[in-house]
Parts: sequence; structure tokens; C-alpha cells
Amino acid sequence: MQEAEANPHAIIRAENVRKTFTLSRKQRMLEKSATGKKVALDGLSFTGYQGEIYGLLGPNGAGKTTMLRILSTLIRPDEGDAFVAGHSVLRESEQVRACIGFLTSELKLEDFFTPAYLFGFFGKLHGMSEEALHKRREELFSRFGIDAFAEVKVGDLSTGMKQKVSIAVSIIHDPSVIIFDEPTNGLDVLTAKVVTDFLEEMRAQGKSIILSTHIFSLVEKLCDRVGIIIDGRMAAEGTLAEVSCGRPLEDAFFDIYKRTVTGV
Amino acid sequence: MNNILTVVNKEFSRFFKDKRLVLSTLILPGLLIFVLYTLLGSVFYDETTVYTVKVVHPSVFFSALFEPQEGETSQFSLQEEEEGEIEAVKEEIRAGTTDLLVVLPENFDALLAGGAFSPVGEAPNVEIWYNSASIDSSSAFGTVSAELDALEDFFSNRFDINISAGGDVSTAQEAEASYYAMLLPFLILTFLFSGCMGLAPESIAGEKERGTIATLLVTPIRRSELVIGKIASLSVLSALSAISSFIGTVLSFPKLAGGDIGSAISAYSAGEIVALLAIMLSAVLLIVSLISITSSYAKSVKEATSLAVPLMIVVMLIGLSTMMFTVSSSAHAVFLIPVYNCVQAMAEIFSLRFSWINLVITLASNFVYIVLLVWILTRMFKSERVIFNR
Ligand SMILES: Nc1ncnc2c1ncn2[C@@H]1O[C@H](COP(=O)(O)OP(=O)(O)O)[C@@H](O)[C@H]1O
Ligand SMILES: [Mg+2]
Repeated sequence: MQEAEANPHAIIRAENVRKTFTLSRKQRMLEKSATGKKVALDGLSFTGYQGEIYGLLGPNGAGKTTMLRILSTLIRPDEGDAFVAGHSVLRESEQVRACIGFLTSELKLEDFFTPAYLFGFFGKLHGMSEEALHKRREELFSRFGIDAFAEVKVGDLSTGMKQKVSIAVSIIHDPSVIIFDEPTNGLDVLTAKVVTDFLEEMRAQGKSIILSTHIFSLVEKLCDRVGIIIDGRMAAEGTLAEVSCGRPLEDAFFDIYKRTVTGV
Repeated sequence: MNNILTVVNKEFSRFFKDKRLVLSTLILPGLLIFVLYTLLGSVFYDETTVYTVKVVHPSVFFSALFEPQEGETSQFSLQEEEEGEIEAVKEEIRAGTTDLLVVLPENFDALLAGGAFSPVGEAPNVEIWYNSASIDSSSAFGTVSAELDALEDFFSNRFDINISAGGDVSTAQEAEASYYAMLLPFLILTFLFSGCMGLAPESIAGEKERGTIATLLVTPIRRSELVIGKIASLSVLSALSAISSFIGTVLSFPKLAGGDIGSAISAYSAGEIVALLAIMLSAVLLIVSLISITSSYAKSVKEATSLAVPLMIVVMLIGLSTMMFTVSSSAHAVFLIPVYNCVQAMAEIFSLRFSWINLVITLASNFVYIVLLVWILTRMFKSERVIFNR
């Protein structure tokens, strides 16, 4: 463990990732783009280290979700490559997915099924044995207090309980890397607390985490390292202390933002 | 392979644990068709109707055809009529007081007993006059001419029916066979399509719309495994739904058309039935893959359903094509056209013109199309524009 701290082990790496979207006619009007193309990521590079929480901080439309989708192999970069636990998202997408847990409010569980059924289903897709599945289920259901709701259809659960089931399902295979897009977005304070506690607990277990957010306080509370992403480019990157230079993160961010956008 | 089974298993759980879905796709279609056809049948085909048939030159052989079975009353009341009254009776038919006029050759019984062969067109002709605008008259015509056909068959062409008026008429069995040949491929395609329409948009566009498919895509499952699992389970469920509709049709058919699909089907050999099942399997896979592709392209269940409608019209028109024209068995190239080849290959079997070459061409080309469609669908599942479009 001490060795790892002295010589931190890179576990998430993006190398010059570019991603351009072709816009539909409706999107073209909204984006006021003449070319019909939107460069979402413009050569983004960064590194997240083992046992740390890495925060991608940026305004809406900066490209955070796009980057996390590329890391979770839902979409492919046009140029560049990204690596998770040494596996390329381009060439070894199945291995990448085997070692990540991806969470976002956009990924939903089917309302029709119960947490118990979904747990079995996703466990099998991760190639887990019945025995391992059973053990993991006991562990996670009691950790998140799902026991009493194991046989209730997801559609009938409260938002908070749904979120807990989503978390439990996404880490069913005990992934070494957790990717979380906007972890507290749209959650009430109690559920948000469950989520932040969970992330801290995962870090304590030695997991590596990358999250995206536009909330400064969340970065200050959780992140070891932060990358400020503006218009698909990395505007500043480093440990929380390096980026904020002893000031509140918010002030540092707006300085960087002004510098980047005006080009000074 | 395991992942495919896991997906199939989940799709089945989704379906069979949902009472409403089971009711609307498995129970209701068959039940509705049964009730509808039976109601229609009771309008068109009423067993208590007695048809008035006037016969000129009555014959023992002819009358024997309409002797009631033990414990039944005859549906036909045969009345003798003079040759000079023919025009008057035609008026009665027009007016609806008489249903049918049968003019037999003068020496009909002797002719049948005698046994000389006559070429078609030269043999004595039986005239049957009826009113196509009257349902009763048309039904009586259908039954009487079918009975006479059977009689002709039995006595090997010693008289003709309506040759001078209507041309050659095939034997009863052939006529029945070609009737099913026209109707069945259309019914089968329609049942398969509507079964799939009730399932695929929900299973693919619905999962996309609700964001549950992306949850699957971040597990180590391959896109191809997911696609194959979806298509396999949707095909089984669509087939079950089609079978439900088909059972409804078989049960109500005697009431609707006075015939029996069951006995018509029992006329086919085991090999032909296996061939039929193979063709239907390829048809269901084709249709499911096609609707799955439009459902993946659509942004919502609603859009997926409306996108499938033009496809449905095309498939149904193709299904009707056997009623408009049949292709020659030697036109092998036609059996390369997807869906159309299923219809024509089924029609060949139903009309007792089974051809091995055409069957093999149909199955092999459909296999290639299905593989191609699965490949396209896999590509679509890899594309962010399809999975995340909104
Ligand atoms: N599927 C898509 N099609 C077209 N444009 C997209 C798509 N996904 C994202 N974009 C565009 O790319 C840019 C970055 O989006 P995103 O990664 O969602 O930003 P963030 O998560 O930082 O708010 C935005 O301008 C967005 O409109
Ligand atoms: Mg976002």
C-alpha cells in the first residue's frame, strides 16, 4: 500500500481522446452549428490513480458524460484511446466492462423486475457462480438496506431505494474501477449522502473512482485529483490542492474558465 | 452462449410473469379471431337454412347426394321442374324464392351407369343457375357444384359441369387445396407479423426509451449475444402468438367456411409439414429481425410501432400475392426474394406442388438474410446514435 502511494499506479488513462458528433437538424438549430458537427472532446488526456477519486469538473456541455461513456465503452472515440486497468476501450471492450461499475442516472433498471431477480440476471451476465452471487447478494442487500424490498418491483420503489438498488447492481461483480456520472444529480439530501458515503467507502477499500460533476463542493469533499474540462479540453489538472492553489475551488475554477474562454 | 440464454430467460420472465402481456398477445388474438369468425360464420353459414333447388330431368344418383344422414334433416329441398319452365325458374332465382336451378342431361343415370368416356367439353353438360348476389343461392351453388365435382371424380368424367358456361372446374380436393394455398400463407404471415408487432417495439425501443438497454450494454455481454438473445426470444413469443391466432382460425373455420382446415392439413405428408415449419421458422426470424431493426432505429415505442406499419403493409401485400398470381415452380430466382419466397414456398406445399429445389433456395437465402440482419442490428447496438439518440 505504501509503495502504491510512493509510486502511484495509473489505472484510468485517457490519451488524446477526440469525439465529434454529427448533429441532427434539430440539434443543429439548438447548437447554432453551421457545419452540423459538434466537437464534444478535443484531444482530452488525463490519468486517474489506484485508490483515488478523480473528479471531472466542468460546466454543462463540456464533454464529461461523453468521456465517461467512452471509458465505459458505450461509445467509441474517433481518435486517441483510453485504458482502464490496462485494457484498451477500443480493442478490449469486454475486459474493460468486466472490471468497471458504471453508474449514471440515465442507466435504469427495468421497473417490472424485483431487485432479487435483477441481481441474479446481472450476476449471470458477469459470469458469477450461484454461490458467489448468493454471498454477494447478502452482503450488498444488507449494506444498502435492500433486504426488505428484495421482492418488490423496482417500479414500486422510492427514488432513494431505486438508487441504492442501481448501485448494488452496478458493483455486483466487485469491480476495481467505479465510474459515476453526476453522482448526486437529482437526488434528495438523504440519498445524496448514501451515495457520497458509498464512494468514500469504496475508496477506503482501495477501489479507483472517476466521477463527473459541476458541483464544486462535491469535488472538495470527495476528490483527490481533479481535471477541469471546458469545451472538450483539459483546462487544468492536478491534485485538489494544486488546482485550487489554497483558494476555494469555485474561485480557482472561474479564473481558469475566464483564461480559457477569452484565451488570455 | 450462456449470455444468450440469460437474455432469453429474462425476456421470457418479462413476458410470462406479466399477465396483461400474456393475455393481450397469447389469449386474446386467438379468442378474438374465434369469436369474430364464428359470428361472421353464423351470418354467412346457417345450418338451419333450407335451400330450394329445382331440378330439370331429376336423377337417382343426383338426389342420393342430398339424402339426409341419419338423425339429420336435409338442407336441400329438391323439386322437380319441367324443361319449359327454365326461364320462369331463373326469374324465381332472381327474385330469391328459389335458390338454385340444376339442369341435368336427360339420361343422367344411364350415362353414369353406362360408362363411356368422353373428352372434356364433349361430355354432356350439367347446368347450374344461381344468383351470385344472394348469399343463400351462392352457398347452395358452392355445395351442389362441389358434390357434383366429387360425383364426376367418382365416375371419371362422364359428364361436365358448367363447361359451356364456365370452363373446366378442378376436382373438389384440388379446389380445396388451392383455396388454402391462397389463404394460408397470408394468414400465417399476418399472424406472425401482428404477434411480433405487439412485442418487438416494446422490447427494443421501449428498453431504449426507458434507458434500461444501456445498463445491459455496460456488462461484459457482447452486442451480438444481446441481439441474438432478443431475436430468439421474440421469435418464440411471436410464434406462440401466431399459433394462438391460428388455433382460433382452425376452431372457427368450419363455422366460417363450412370446411375444415384440420382435415386439409392432414392431407400433407410429414416431410411437407416439416418443410412448412422450416419455412415458417425462417419467416418468423426474418420478420422479427426486420421489426427489431426499425425498433432500434426508433426513439420511442410509439415511433417503432408506426415505423413497422409500412413494413406490415408490404408484408401483407406479399402475403396476398398468391391470390393474384402463382409463380412457375421452375422460376427458381423468385425464391431468392425474402418474405415473398416464404409465401410462394408455402403456397407450393399447400397446393400440392412441393419442390425441393425451391425449398432449399428459400431456406438458404433466408438464412443469409437473417445473418445479415443480425449483423446490421449488432452494428446498430454499437452505435451511440442508435442507443442514445433523442
Ligand atoms: N449523442 C449525441 N449527439 C449529438 N451531440 C451530442 C451527443 N452527446 C453529446 N453531444 C454534445 O456533446 C457535447 C458534450 O456533451 P456531454 O458530454 O453530455 O456534456 P456534459 O456531460 O459535460 O454536460 C454537448 O454539446 C452535447 O450537446
Ligand atoms: Mg453530463
